[in-house]
Amino acid sequence: MSLALTRAGGPAIVGNAERRGGRKDHSGHEATVDESIVGPDPWTRRVFGGYLPLIIACLIIVLPLLWMVLGSFKTADEVITQDLVLWPHHPSFAAYANASAKVNFPQLFMNSVLVTAVGATVKVVLAITSAYAFAFLRFPGKRIIFLAILVALMVPSQVSLVPNYITIAGMGGVNTYWGIILPGLGTAFGTFLLRQNFMSLPIDVLEAAEMDGAGHLSRLFRMVVPMSTPAIATVALVTIVDEWNNYIWPLVITTDDSRMTLPVGLTLLKNIEGDPSAYPILMAGAVVVILPVLIVFLFLQRYIVAGLTQGAVK
Amino acid sequence: MSASGTIAGPRRRLNRRRLRESLLFVAFVLPNAALIAVFTYRPLILNVWYSMLDWTLGSARATFIGLGNYREFFTKDAGAVLGTTLIFTVVTVGGSMLIGLGLAVVLNRRLIGRNPARATVFAPYVLSGVGVGLVWTFIFDPVGGVLAAVLRKFGASSPQWFLQPGLSLTMVIIVYIWKNLGYCAVIYLAALQAVPRDLLEAAALDGAGRSRTFRSIVWPLISPTTFFLLMTTILSSLQSFDLIRIMTPMGQGTTTLMYASYLQAFGGYNRAGYSSAISTILVVILLILTVFQMRFLERKVYYA
Amino acid sequence: MLHDASRAAISRRSLLGLIGLGAGAAALSACSGPSTSASGAGAGSASADAVGGPSFDGVTPAKTISFWSNHPGSSQAITQSIIDKFKAESGITVNLVTAGSTYEDVAQKFQSAQAGGQLPDLVVLSDVWWFRYFMQDSIIPLGNVLKAAKVDLSDYRQGLVADYQYKDSQWAVPWARSTPLFYYNKSHFKAAGLPDRAPATWGEFATWAPKLMAARSTTKAKYAYEHPALAGYAGWTLQNILWGYGGGWSKKDSFDITCDSDPSVKALSYVADSVNKEKWAGVASTSSTDDLAAGACSATIESTGSLVGVQKAVGSRFDVGVGFLPGGPVSTKPVCPTGGCGVGIPKGVDKANQLAAAKFIGFLTNPENTVSFSAATGYLPVRTSADTSSLLAKNPLIGTAIKQLDVTRTQDWARVFLPGADQEMAKSVAAILTQGAGVDATMKTLRTTLEGIYTSQVKPHLS
Repeated sequence: MSLALTRAGGPAIVGNAERRGGRKDHSGHEATVDESIVGPDPWTRRVFGGYLPLIIACLIIVLPLLWMVLGSFKTADEVITQDLVLWPHHPSFAAYANASAKVNFPQLFMNSVLVTAVGATVKVVLAITSAYAFAFLRFPGKRIIFLAILVALMVPSQVSLVPNYITIAGMGGVNTYWGIILPGLGTAFGTFLLRQNFMSLPIDVLEAAEMDGAGHLSRLFRMVVPMSTPAIATVALVTIVDEWNNYIWPLVITTDDSRMTLPVGLTLLKNIEGDPSAYPILMAGAVVVILPVLIVFLFLQRYIVAGLTQGAVK
Repeated sequence: MSASGTIAGPRRRLNRRRLRESLLFVAFVLPNAALIAVFTYRPLILNVWYSMLDWTLGSARATFIGLGNYREFFTKDAGAVLGTTLIFTVVTVGGSMLIGLGLAVVLNRRLIGRNPARATVFAPYVLSGVGVGLVWTFIFDPVGGVLAAVLRKFGASSPQWFLQPGLSLTMVIIVYIWKNLGYCAVIYLAALQAVPRDLLEAAALDGAGRSRTFRSIVWPLISPTTFFLLMTTILSSLQSFDLIRIMTPMGQGTTTLMYASYLQAFGGYNRAGYSSAISTILVVILLILTVFQMRFLERKVYYA
Repeated sequence: MLHDASRAAISRRSLLGLIGLGAGAAALSACSGPSTSASGAGAGSASADAVGGPSFDGVTPAKTISFWSNHPGSSQAITQSIIDKFKAESGITVNLVTAGSTYEDVAQKFQSAQAGGQLPDLVVLSDVWWFRYFMQDSIIPLGNVLKAAKVDLSDYRQGLVADYQYKDSQWAVPWARSTPLFYYNKSHFKAAGLPDRAPATWGEFATWAPKLMAARSTTKAKYAYEHPALAGYAGWTLQNILWGYGGGWSKKDSFDITCDSDPSVKALSYVADSVNKEKWAGVASTSSTDDLAAGACSATIESTGSLVGVQKAVGSRFDVGVGFLPGGPVSTKPVCPTGGCGVGIPKGVDKANQLAAAKFIGFLTNPENTVSFSAATGYLPVRTSADTSSLLAKNPLIGTAIKQLDVTRTQDWARVFLPGADQEMAKSVAAILTQGAGVDATMKTLRTTLEGIYTSQVKPHLS
C-alpha cells in the first residue's frame, strides 16, 4: 500500500488545493450531500441500488478473511480433501503450534514489532523536523530541495533493490536490524503531508510566540506539534502499517528467522518436498500477520481514511 | 566596516539570525534529504551503470557489455513482459477505479451502516500483501480450495489457476482489485461528498434525472479526483510485488517489469546486470508518467 | 624550525587527508558493485587448481558453526536432534538456520551473501545448484577437509557421491537424497480391477488409465494420473519418461542438448497426449501428492522425500502404494534420476569453521543418523553400511525406495549444470501441457535457449 498511499499526499493535490483556494481542512467533513436529495428514495432503489450491492461488497471482503480464520483451525485432512469442510470438526490451535514449531513465530513477531517501531518512530521524527524546516525556516534553494524530496515519491523502492542490496551488504548490513530499517528511513510522504498541515496553522499565534522570544525548537514542540496531533497521528499510522507490511526489502536482506519479519517468515512455512498441504499452518501464519493490522485499523480507521482523503481531495 | 557601523549592528544580528536559521534548516532536513539521496536517487544512477554489466549477483567481478542487456531484453523478453505489465496495469487500474466509483456512489446514499461498510471495504488495502496472497491461494486451489468445491457443487471443475499463465494473471488481477478497490472507493466517496449540494438541487429543479445529473455535473466535478486516482493506481500497480510473489512464485504469466527485475536478480538467475536494465526501463516509464502528470496538472491549475 | 614544523604538520595533514580520501573512495567503490574487466577473462574460472581443496594441516575445528537449510522433507526436528547429539559428542555447536523454504530460497540467500553478507559454514546444495557455486568459486573442494575430519567417502553410495564430482574434485556430500517414486492409491487401483503394483512401463499404464477413468464414479478421482507440479521440478521427474524413450534433456555426461531429438519428442508427445488427447492425466497445481492424498488422482510421481508426509496426510483413508518408476519402449532401467540435496562448505569462511563443518558432515551422515533421518522423512540412507532393518520394519514402503537406488541414473547435465535450465524446462513443458503448444517447436526453442545458457554462462567458466 505504501506508494499509492504515499502518493495520496503527492503533488497531484497541490493544484486542487490551490484551485479551491483553500488551506481549509476538509478532513473532518462528513456533510452528506446525497444524490438522493432529489426526492425520497423508493424502497426498490434503496435495496437494489443501495443495500444489496453494499452487502455483496462487504461479503466479498469479509468472507475470504473468515475463511482464513476457519482454515487456521482445521486439520490437514480437512483441507486436503475433495469434500468441502466448512467448519473445522475439531477446532484446534494445532496449526498455530505447528507453525510455531516450523518457524520461530515469537521471534518473527518481535522482529516485526522492533523494525516497525524503530522505523516508524525515526520516520515520523524526520518528517516533523523536515516539514517544520520547509514550512517555517528560510534557506537558499529551499524550493528546489523540497521538489527533489517530492519527486522521490514517484520512485518506487523496488527499483533500487540491487543497488541498495549491494550498498547495505557492503556495509555489513545483511541480516541485521539496521540493514532492514536504514534504506527506508527517508520520508517524502510524511514531509509533504506535515508541511501542508503546518502551513495551515494560524500564523499569528506562531508570530506572537516568536515575539515572546520563543525559539524555533520551543515553537516546534510546544505549539506546532500539539496543534498538528491529528496529522501526525495519521502519518504515524500510515507509516506503521507500511513498515509492518513491508515485504520485498526484508525478504532480500534477511537470511534467517533470527531477523526475518513476519511477512518474510510466512514464506518459510511453505515447504517444497514433504509435508503435503500446509494450508492450515499457512492460514495460521496469515492470521498472525493480518490480525494486528486489522485490529489497529478497526479502532483507528477514521484517522487513516481521513488522512488519505485529506491529501487527495481538497 | 567601521564606516557603516551604525547599520552593521542590526544587519549583523540579522545575518547571524539568518545563519542560525540556515543551520537549523540543515540540521532538520539533512538526515532526511541524505537518506533519500543515498537510498532513492543514488540507486537510479547505479542502476544505469549496473545495467551495462554482465554481472552475477554476489560476484566481485563483472564484464562491461554496453547495451547488451537492453538488446537482450528488447529482442527476447520485452514482448511478454511489457504485454503482461500492460494488461495487469490496465485491468487492475480500470477495475478498481470503476468498481470503486460504483461503491462510492452507493456509499454516498443515506444508508444505515454505511460507515462500517466503508471501513470494511477499505480494510484490505491496509493488510499485508503476503497474508492476503496466502489466503487467496488457499481459496483458488483447484483441489482443496473453496472455489473448486463450489464449482464442483455445480458440476463444473476448477480452472487450472496456477498452471495456465492467462488464468494465473487473471487470478492475481482479481485479488489485486479486491485488495485495492477500497482505496478508490473511499477517495471517490470524499470527492462525491465535496460536490456542492446547491448544484445538485438546482439540477433537480431543472428536472434533470439522476444519470443526467451524474454525467453533466458530478462527473466533471470529480474529474480531478479521477485523474489523481488514475496516476496513483497506475504507479502502485506498476510496483506490485507481494501478491505476485506469493501466488505465482515462478512468475508464470505474471512476470511484470517489476517482477522480472526481481526474478532476474534474486530468483533463479542472479543476473544483477540484466535486472538493473529492467529496473532502468521501469524508471524511464515512471519518468514519462511523472512528466505527463506534471504537464497535465499545470494545465489544470490554469484552466480548471 | 617552527616553519619546518608547521610545514611538516601541513603535509602530514594533507597526507592524512589523502589517505582519508583514498579510503573513502575505496569504501565507496567497495559499496558500489563489482570491478569490471574488458572481456570474459575476468569471469574467474572455478578452482580447477585444487583437486583436494585447501590444506587443513594443523587446523583445529571451531566451536560454533552455522548450517543453512530449508529443512527438506520437514526435517527440522530430526536435524536438530542429530545436532544435539553432535554437540554432546564433540562439543561443537551447530546453529541450524532456516534460510528459506525451498532450495531456491537458500540458494538465493547464499548467492547474495557472496556480495558481503555473513556466510554459513555449511549449506544445503541441491542437485541443480552446487555446480553453479563450483563455477563461481564459492564452495571448496572437500577432499582435504574430509580427510582432516576423518570422513571416508568409500562407505557412501557411490552413485550419490558421484553426483557431486567434477574435474576429480568432490564438491558436496550426499545428505537428503531422494529419487522420484511412483505413488498410487490402492483402493482406486482395486476399484478399477488393476493389479496391486506400479506399472512396469508407461505403455502398460496407458492401458490401465482408461480403466481407472472408468472407475471414477466410485473413486471420485479427477484423473488416473497426475504429472507433478511443473514449477521447478518438471525437469527432474520427466527425465524418467525421456530416458525410457531413449531420449533426454542432453546426452549422457555431456552438454550436447538433445531435448528436441526424435526419442525426446516422442516421450514428451506421450506426456502431452495423456493430458490433451487421452485426457486421463492432469497436471498438479501445487503438489501432486496433496492431490493424491485428497483422492483427486489415482497415481502420481513424486520425490521419496514426500513419502512420510503423504502417509501422514492420507491417514487411514486409504492405502498408499509405491513402486519403481515405469520404463519406456527403449529402456526399462535405469530410468530413475537421483535428486535431493547434499551439503557443501563455502569458501569464504575460516578454515577452523570449515573443518568443524566437515566433522559435522561426517556425523550428520553417519550410518546411524542417515537411517533415523530417513525414517523421519522418506529420504534415502546414503551409507551402504547403514542398517535399514528397523527402517523397513517400521515403514516397508521405504524399502521400495531404497531398492530403486540400484537402478538410478545420474541426471542430465542440461538440467543440473545449466543455471536456470530447470525453470526453462518447466516453462516449456507448461506450454506443451497447459497451452497446447506443439512439442516439436517448443523443444527446438528450448534447445536454443539451453545452448545459449551454456555458451554464455557455463563455457567461459570451464575453459
